[in-house]
Parts: sequence; structure tokens; C-alpha cells
Amino acid sequence: MTARKSGSRLETEIERCRSECQWDKIPELVRQLSAKLISNDDLGELLLAECKLQTYLKENPIKQGASPRGPRPNLLEVRKHLTAALDRGNLKSDYLQEASLLMAKLCYVEGEYRDALGHYGRVSLDELQLAGAPVYRLSIIAESYATKGLCLEKVPTASPLLSNNNTGSPALSNRTASERDQEIITCYEKSGDIALLYLQEVEKVCMSGIQNRSPKPGPAAHEQELGYFLETGLQRAHVIHFKNGNLTRGVGRFREILRAVETRTTQNLRMTIARQLAEILLRGMCEQSYWSPMEDPPTVSPLDDPAQQGHTHSNKTYSLSRRPRLYSGENLFCPQENTEEALLLLLISESMANRDAVLSRIPEHNNDRIISLQSASVVYDLLTIALGRRGQYEMLSECLERAMKFAFEEFHLWYQLALSLMAAGKSARAVKVLKECIRLKPDDPTIPLLAVKLCIGPLHWLDEGECFANMVVDMGEKAAEFRAKGYLAAGLVYSLKATDASLRGIQEEYQRKALGAFQRAQSLSPTDHLASFYLALQLAVSRQIPEALGYVRQALQLQGDDVHSLHLLALLLSAQKHYHDALNIIEMALSEYPENFNLLYTKVKLETLCRGPEEALLSCKHMLEIWKSFYNLTNPSDSGRGSSLLDRAIADRRQLNAMTLPDFSDPDTGSVHATSIAASRVEQALSEVASSLQSSAPKQGPLHPWMTLAQIWLHAAEVYVGMGKPAEATACTQEAANLFPTSHNVLYMRGQVAELRGNVDEAKRWYEEALSINPTHVKTMQRLGLILQQLQRYSLSEKVLRDAVQVNSTAHDVWNSLGEVLQAQGNAAAATECFLAALELEASSPVLPFTIIPRAL
Amino acid sequence: MLAMDQGVVEEWLSEYKTLPDNAVSNYAASLKDKGALVPALYKVIRENYSDLLEPVCHQLFEFYRSGEPWLQRFALQFLPELLWSLLSASSARDPHTSGCIEALLLGMYNLEIVDKDGQSKVLSFTVPSLSKPSVYHEPSTIGSMALTEGALANHGLSRVVYSGPHLQRETFTAQNRFEVLTFLLLCYNAALSYMTPSSLQSLCQLSSRVCICGYPRQQLRRYKGISSRLTVTSEFLVQLITGIHYALCNGDVEVGSRALDDVLYRAQLELFPEALLVGNAVKSSMHCAALKSNNKEGARSIQVEITPTASRISRNAVTSLSIRGHRWKRHDAVDLGSPDELMEISEMDEGVWPGLTAPGDAAPPTITISNSFTTPSLGARAMKKCRLGGRTSKDKEAGPAPGGRAASESVELSVKRLTLTSSQSVPKAGALSSLTRTASAVFSRSFEASGTPVPNHLLHHHHHHHHLLHHAGSDAGAHEAGRYSCSMQEEGLGYLNPGPNHSPLSTSISVHLGPDL
Repeated sequence: MTARKSGSRLETEIERCRSECQWDKIPELVRQLSAKLISNDDLGELLLAECKLQTYLKENPIKQGASPRGPRPNLLEVRKHLTAALDRGNLKSDYLQEASLLMAKLCYVEGEYRDALGHYGRVSLDELQLAGAPVYRLSIIAESYATKGLCLEKVPTASPLLSNNNTGSPALSNRTASERDQEIITCYEKSGDIALLYLQEVEKVCMSGIQNRSPKPGPAAHEQELGYFLETGLQRAHVIHFKNGNLTRGVGRFREILRAVETRTTQNLRMTIARQLAEILLRGMCEQSYWSPMEDPPTVSPLDDPAQQGHTHSNKTYSLSRRPRLYSGENLFCPQENTEEALLLLLISESMANRDAVLSRIPEHNNDRIISLQSASVVYDLLTIALGRRGQYEMLSECLERAMKFAFEEFHLWYQLALSLMAAGKSARAVKVLKECIRLKPDDPTIPLLAVKLCIGPLHWLDEGECFANMVVDMGEKAAEFRAKGYLAAGLVYSLKATDASLRGIQEEYQRKALGAFQRAQSLSPTDHLASFYLALQLAVSRQIPEALGYVRQALQLQGDDVHSLHLLALLLSAQKHYHDALNIIEMALSEYPENFNLLYTKVKLETLCRGPEEALLSCKHMLEIWKSFYNLTNPSDSGRGSSLLDRAIADRRQLNAMTLPDFSDPDTGSVHATSIAASRVEQALSEVASSLQSSAPKQGPLHPWMTLAQIWLHAAEVYVGMGKPAEATACTQEAANLFPTSHNVLYMRGQVAELRGNVDEAKRWYEEALSINPTHVKTMQRLGLILQQLQRYSLSEKVLRDAVQVNSTAHDVWNSLGEVLQAQGNAAAATECFLAALELEASSPVLPFTIIPRAL
Repeated sequence: MLAMDQGVVEEWLSEYKTLPDNAVSNYAASLKDKGALVPALYKVIRENYSDLLEPVCHQLFEFYRSGEPWLQRFALQFLPELLWSLLSASSARDPHTSGCIEALLLGMYNLEIVDKDGQSKVLSFTVPSLSKPSVYHEPSTIGSMALTEGALANHGLSRVVYSGPHLQRETFTAQNRFEVLTFLLLCYNAALSYMTPSSLQSLCQLSSRVCICGYPRQQLRRYKGISSRLTVTSEFLVQLITGIHYALCNGDVEVGSRALDDVLYRAQLELFPEALLVGNAVKSSMHCAALKSNNKEGARSIQVEITPTASRISRNAVTSLSIRGHRWKRHDAVDLGSPDELMEISEMDEGVWPGLTAPGDAAPPTITISNSFTTPSLGARAMKKCRLGGRTSKDKEAGPAPGGRAASESVELSVKRLTLTSSQSVPKAGALSSLTRTASAVFSRSFEASGTPVPNHLLHHHHHHHHLLHHAGSDAGAHEAGRYSCSMQEEGLGYLNPGPNHSPLSTSISVHLGPDL
């Protein structure tokens, strides 16, 4: 069946050279061959013709899209060799076929399409054997199919060659046109399949050659090149499908090529096709129109041009006796959804693009670097689109980290990395990357603003935040619409710094700066409700209640359902002791934000004052129910990574609630101090130790839900303390303690309960423990001061209370207690001053501190 | 509204009602031939005060509920227009006009969040991994490049939930509005291929308007509708971008790119990283595509050409592949960056900061509130919510049912009954008390003696201690992660849910492998 004669070293060698396209060795081998037997002359002609034609094509490659131009003098010899071989007809049938196919190829190169088709008609390509054929033969057959397709495309449709079956009908019916299109596509598809098979076989031969250490190893780094015909055969079919608007078949063809086991030569092709298929999946398909690679495509699909539908057959219309090897094995992952498939393809292209990253920076490689950067950027952009749709920002940030080897001085990649880190919650690293982005693009105000957002929010890096905010402010007019945002950011930084400051002078200085910045922001952007709102909040914190009310009303006019403005309004009303109005506002706000725990805490406080503790307890119960329905539902056990869209959504909401919570509850002081943040870190570490001591504590994952729960219990406990019910209060506190045993809030509440029971010593111990966790917890300091006073340790009590006043100078009950201690010590004048201060502050004191309202950009 | 349009709509309304059950699918297929109907329906939705709005909404809901895919898609094509009606009405604080649109959208939402059996639907997908063989690749040929933190943590395929489960919603509130609308857009995006050009255009218009109303750019676009700012969320914008991306590639390039610009403009002003990220990527990838082919036909811009298969990168350039065989001297690797600094950052990112999303997630123990009211079976609830139209609006006017309050049998909050089932397994205070006590003893002594207000050294001590713990943990974790991945291979599991224990630890690995910043 084959032309192989075992034992003939020479023939094997010729076969190997033809398979590996080592045409330069052929003439010498032909010389040896003809020396052996005269009858080999015809074979020699064939080989020489092939070698000359291939060499010519290598030196004058045909460009894609260009048509061959007439006869070439260089090819005369080729034609002579072939004509000689064919005319004599002494060759074995296999070689005769090869000669015909070569002749057809030559005709194509010289632009004689009809002649070429005539040769193909005589050989009948479909009957050529693929099984057991020598490797080079596969290449010849694949090229022949591609060439036949090319010729068919060139020859006018009315060619008599093709309308053999319906002779005499010059008018071309639609049916024959579509049949012809089909024939062309089939040619290319067959060519592509056989080409893949050929490349796989060649690689196998090469590999075994290397392993066997054959005496005549080919050039070590010999790399196969596809050449015009095989490239066309591999790609032309899907190009036609897409040109015709037949996405279904185009995608099918892509998948067939990609499922074939890769070879060294097809790597670049696979990378391109994988990226193109991913593009189509992301740009042209949706979940409903998708079908998996293992399924049959839908018969009617919205993806296909309706004009084409029905004209082309959507199923495979040909069969081959041998096909390229496909990836196979047990448990192969097969995508079931368009994003899944796109991601898989992009990860494959990414790994290849990464491999080709040009690292050297010498000028000669500039071009290479640009090419490698471009092909990688396309892949990373598509990865971003796919992963962003599915909310997988953490994975995305990991992918983009890998892109950094391309990123030197490339703004887009740096910026995308920074954004992905931010979206993934990796704030500290995001700020570092944003700094680099600012260096690359110093005029863009968005970038420093993004950095301030992180510094103010999750990181609490106020000095850095101030620096970034000032960058925007310093841009002046250039920052345009962002200028107001810059002032807003600066204001927030100062406002937070004021809360952190432990010295009154510094506090007031920052408050003044914050007010100035907010005023500036408000005047620059009078339609921005945030500017009015933060101005109102800052005024409220410095107890300018009427002015604050004015601005908060303005904010509400601009944005009627803003939750923080409503909350602030309620607190301002409570500061004016209009508790019922405040409660009405809170209830109105709750009708729009029923699951906002911050509002609910305030509601509990107000209800205790207006409607009595029973109502407040009902609210606590309601909060527990909300908590349950909320967090129970949103924690499906099978979510592998926690950054899905929904998780993100919750995380955002959580951040709003959580702004006040770094110190997990602090229902009383509310203010977020640097020290209390440190305390809560200690607390968390201790809780971790505690839970690791327990054998199988399930308290893992996001902490926030648990903090909220603990806080709800503490609120309930506080209500019970107010009612004078120590047993119930203890039970509630215990629930919170089960979650956070070392929280200073829990310890403080235990102290309260102990006081209620009259155990002064025990209460003192609890308070001291609370302060050891958080030394600036004002409520605790106040209670401890009072107890020390009861124990008649006046000077220590005074010291504690003075420290408390330093931390929070607006706490009226501390001033009051301080007054009492001073009075007990006989310092009446100082005591009077304290009482006066307490009185004055009490008149403007809200039910919960204004600072429980989160401040974020 | 013209009388002719009115006639078309009225005919459509009556035709479906009289349709026998077995004719529905034929009817669905024939809908697209009614050329005048769709524009007429758009008019009805745009004119908020039309008498036809309520019956139209009702019928669209009936379409959606029918379960017939083509009818559902027919209803879905109006989603962008309906969203805009709802949002513009809610910004004008004129709730009466949008009552039936609200009811329709809530009805669609409540139908979509449950599966056929009335169970909450959870949308999930598999994150492919190069370390697992697939129909397109073989792990061994990918090489060792992918051995990073991420690859270790996700050795194998993990199934990720990207939406759901969602709560049933009776009314729109400021809090749930965008959650519902985002989910509806997700449904719309899942059917993008079936959407008509006019629907895609409407989506782009919606995107532009939502993003620019009330901002200086509104003047630039010369849009004179409402002029107050609309609140948006980052997730909502991401969903809009997905639709715009499709429209850009398959429809009107001009309207699409304007919409994309407007969304990016707003995302910048709001400092939304997610929307900026995806929007930038779409813009950058479209830029590349536009360079390749400048077709104005508005047809599908999916074009593929024959590309050369040989590598375009010259052989002698140093690439990551060629450098892989290179041996580095040891001291070079150490000097790459200051590891201390990176370590510090990684710690910050690990959710040590309270109140932040800690990576990794474990299901919290379920909390049982034993005297909570038994929820009616979901099926029944869903059924109830399906009744729509005038009734629903009426229900809404009556105000939301006063939840648990009315039925609450006792005012006393009985702590016993509000039992936390998890409490048994959570650490007890006693386990830690000795440590705390020592600490507090130290504190109170120093406090009484010197009266220092802030005993910093104590905090430092704790902090340091914690630091050490963290490090110890990392080592253990790395070890464990290694063991885990080995066992994975042995058992050939296709599914891995990285335990929460690993998440805080893996970063230390990344610190060593990460690029030098």
C-alpha cells in the first residue's frame, strides 16, 4: 500500500527529508538514487520538481490575500521535471498521484486555476489513503485540499467544470451556489484536519528521532513552518464561516482545531484562535445562546445571519479515514457556560503570551516588545471582562500580577492592576500600585482620589490620605469636576484626624481645617449632596446644631433618600431633644433601608426614651430576625471564593455599616480612635487564639456578621440594664461574649451588670479589663471614675476622668462625673465649671454620637 | 399616542387572552412578525400616564410567567425602557406613575430568583484551572509558570457562586432597588443574543442617562429629561457595561461607545473600582478591534482573518521562556525587594483590619430563632406574588404587613428562646481569661502606679505577639496547603473548596513569588 520499501536506507532518508521539509538535501539524495537504478529516474524527476517548487515558495512566499501572478521563469524547470515524470507514466501509482498533485499546485502558483482543478479531478483526492501513509504525504494531501479550495474560490461560479450534473442551465440556481460554497468549505476543513494530523505525526517522528539518537540527527532547533497552503487550510474555513455570518459553524470549527492535541508548530495558531474564540464568546454570545463544545449546536441560533440560515448545513458533511488526535482522558474539564469557556481559553492564551514576554529592553527589541505587549494586553483585557462579569476580582488581581512583566511604563496595565487589587479588597497593595500610576499619569485626578478612598476607608492611613487629597487640591482648575471631590477628601481626612487626636488643641485645629475643606467642596459643587452632608456632619460634631440642620436639609433636598443624611437629621433632632420627631425620621428611613443596622441601633435608643424599654426590646428582636434572614441566606456553603458579585454587594453595604465598627460596636463612644483600632486588632488576635484553643470552632470567614450580631446582643443587654434586669442582661452579654470574649464592649457591659447587682469590686475589675483592651474607651473610663469615687479614691478617679475628657471633650456625663469628684475633693470652683460644661454639652448631645455615621469617600 | 398604535396594542392585549393553551408556542414564534407592535409598546412605556400602561405591564408579566422562552424574551426586550421609567419616576418622587412598572419588575425578579421547584436559585460557575486537563489543553504542556499562590490555593476546579440566593421582595426600597435591578440586568444579559437592536439601543440610552443626569455632562449630551442625580451602584454599572459591550460589537457602535464613555465618566466620579476596571478593559479591547477593521455597517464586528502562525517575535530576544533555563546567582534573588515591607502589607490585607471583607468564607452556623414565625412554603409565597396588576398596587398602598410585631405573643424578650445554636461551639470566655487577666493585671499596676493614660507598651506587646502568631500560622498553613494539594491529586477530586484556614496564610507564599514592586 505504501511506497515504503523496508530495508532501503536511502528511501527512508528521502522520506524523512520530505517530512521535515529539508529540501536542500534532496538533490544529493536523488543523485545517489539514480546511481543505483535507472528506473529511479522518474522518481528523481518527481523529487527534484518538488524540491525546486518548495524552495521557490520558501524564497518567494505567497502573501495572504495576494493572488499568484502568471508563469514564472524559475518554475519552468519544475514543470519540465513533472511533465517528464507524468508523460512517461512509469511511476508507481502513489508517486504518480504525488506528481499530479504537485502539478496542480504548480498550476495554482502560476494562476492556472482551471488546469489545477482538472488535475485534482483526475486524482480524486477523497480516495487517497490517510491511514499508513508516510508523513510527508499527509502534508501533500492537506496542501492539495487547501489549493483546491483556493482554486474553487477563484474560478467563476458558472464554470462548466462544476456544473457537470446540471448541464445546460446557464442560470445559476441558489442551490448550486450554496452547494459550491459548501464544497469550498469542506475542502478547507479537510485540509485543516489533515494538516493537524500531519503536524502531530511530524512531531512524533521528531521526538522519537531525538530519543533514539538517530545517527543523523536533523538540525537541533529545526522548527517547522507551515507555509501558505497549510495556513490557509487551517484557517480559511472559519474565516469564511464568519464572513458569511455563520457564527455557529465558525465556533464549531474553532473548537475542532483547539481540541486537537497541540504541536510546537500550532502553538501560535492556537494562541490566536483561543483568543478569537474567547472574544466571540464574550462579545457575541450570551448564556442562553451558548452550547457546550461536547453538545450539538442548536439548529436555529440567533447568532447566525438569518439570511444564511437554511442555506448552509450546520452539521459536518464529510468524514475522513483518519483524524488528528484530540485531547482525551478521564475527567476532562468541559466548559458548560460561555464565561467558563472564555476563561479557560484566555488562561491558555495567557500562559502562552506570558511565555513570549520580551524581557530585554535594548532598542533592537523594541518592536518585539510591542508585539508581545499587545498580544498580552488583549488577553488581559478579555480576562478582565470575563472575570469582572462574574465578580472574581481576587482571581483577576492574581492574573494581572502576572501581567506585570509586561508593564514597565505601561499605564493601562498598572492602572488595571491597581483597580483589581482595590476591587479584591487588597487595599494596602492597591495604594502602592496607585502611587506608580500617579507617577505615570500625574494629571489624572481620579487616581489620587482612589488612593484617598482606600486610605480613609479600610486602611485608616490618614497621613497618606492627606497627601493624596492635597495632590488633587493642588491640581486646581485642571482637576475640573474632581476639584470639589479633592476638597471633600481632604475634609474627610481632617475630620477623621480630629477624631483620632488625643489633645484638644490638635482636635480643634483639625476640625477647623475639616470645616474649611467641606465648605470649599460645597461651594465648588453645590449640587453634590455629599458635600452638604459632610459639612452638616462636621458642624454637628462641633455641636453647631442649627447650622448643621440647615445643611443636612440641603443635602436631603438634593438626595431625598440618602440614608446617612436621614440618620444625621434624626440625630440632630435628638440633640435638640425632639425625640419623637427623630424617631419618626428614623422610622421613615427604615422604611427605605429596613436592613440598616446603624439606623436600628439609633431606633433602639430613641424607643427607650420615647416609648419605653419594651418597644426597644422588640426592636432588638427584630434586628436578630433581620440578621438571621440576611446572613443565613447569603452564605451558601459551596461558594469557593468569596468575591462573587453578591459577596461584593454585601461587602459594600457592610463597609457602610462597618465604618464605625473597626472597634466593633462602640455603641457609646462611637468615635473611631487609632488606639481603639489597635485594640480591636488585639481583640481579634485574642479571639483567634481563643478559637484555636477550642477544638472545632466554626467562627471563621468574614467577621462582620458576627460583630453585628454581638452588637445586637449588647444593645439588648443595655436595654435590660436600663430596665434593672440583671439576669437577662447577663444572658445577652453572654451571647455577645460567646462571639467576642475579649471585646472591651462585652467587658464594659459585664461591669454595668455587676454595678446593677451592687458588686462594686467586680464591676471595677471588669472595667479595668475593658480598659486594658482599649485604654481610650470613654464610657468605661467614666464608669470606672465613678466607682473610684465611691471607693473614695478621689485623685485616681479625677485622673481617669480627666483622661476621658481629653479623649472626648464632648462627653457631658464625664464632665458631670468630674464635677462630682472635684466637689467631693472640695474644689468647688472647678466643680462648678465642670457642671456648667456638662450642662451646656448635654443641651446639644444626641442619643448616639454623631460619629457613628460612617465617613467615607 | 396615535390611535393606530393604540389599536395595535389593544389587539395584542385581547389576542393573547383568548389564546388556547396549545397555541401559545406558535403564537410566540409569530410575535416577531408584528412589526408595528414593538414600537407601539415602547410608546406606551415611555408615556407614563397612558391608560394602557397597566394592562400592558400585566400582559408582559403573563408572558414572563408563561415559561415559554420566546414570550419571556419578548417581555425581556423592554427591560431597559422599564428600568428607565422606574428610575426617572423614583427620582421625581412621583411613586404613583410607576406603580405597575414596579409591580412588573418585582414580579419578574421574584420569578427569576427561584427555580422550578420554588427553591432559591443560586447561579454558579466553575473557575477553570490550567492544572486540570480540559478538552483544550493538557496541564503538562503548560509548563511550570502557573505555580503561584493562586494556583496552589485553587489546585483544581472550584465552583463559585456569582449570584444568589436572593430574597423575595414585596416592594422596592432605596436599599433593595439596585439589588433587584442588578439581578434583572443579569437576566437580560443572559439573553443578549436574542435582544433586538432597538432594545440594545434602549439599553445604551438608559446607561447614558442614568450616569449623566444631574452632572455637568448632561449639558454636553443635550438631554433634557430629569435633572436630578440618580444613585447607582458599582455592580449595576458592571452589568450595564456587559450589555453595552454586546451592543458595541453587534449593533450601533456610536450609541454604544457614547454609553460606555458616560458610564466610565460616572464610575470615575463615584470612584467605583469594579466598573472602572471592566469599562477600561472593554474600551481598550474595542480600541484594538477598531484599529483592525473600521466597519461602519453596524453589523457584527466579529471578524477573523488568516493570521501568520509563525512567531512574530525574533528569536534572539530574551523572553520569559528563553530566560527560564537561565541560572540566577543566589544573591540576586534576595535583593529583589525588601521582604519586610511586603510582609507588612500582606498582613494588612488579610482582614486583620476589622470590619473588612476577610478572604475566604465559611458558612456561619445557622442561627435559630425558635419563636420566629414559620415561613409559608416558598411555592405558596411565589404564587401569591405572581398575582399582579391592580391588586399588587393596592396591597402596596395598604402598607407592608407589619411583620412579626403584630403576632408577637409577649413583649418580654425571652433570651432563652432566642437561642444561638452556634453558641456551644464558639470559644468560651474562660478559655482566654487567664491571658486577659495577666494583661489586665499588668495594666492596672502600671495604671495605678504612674497613671499613664495610654499604656502603649502593652499594646505593643500584644501587637508583637499577634505578629508572631501570624508568622507561625503562615508556616503551618503553607505546609497544610501542600499536603492538601497532594491529597487532591491522589483522590482525583474535581472540586476543591479551600478551607478558610488557608486563606490568611497563603499570602506569605505570594510574598516570595510576587513580582518586585
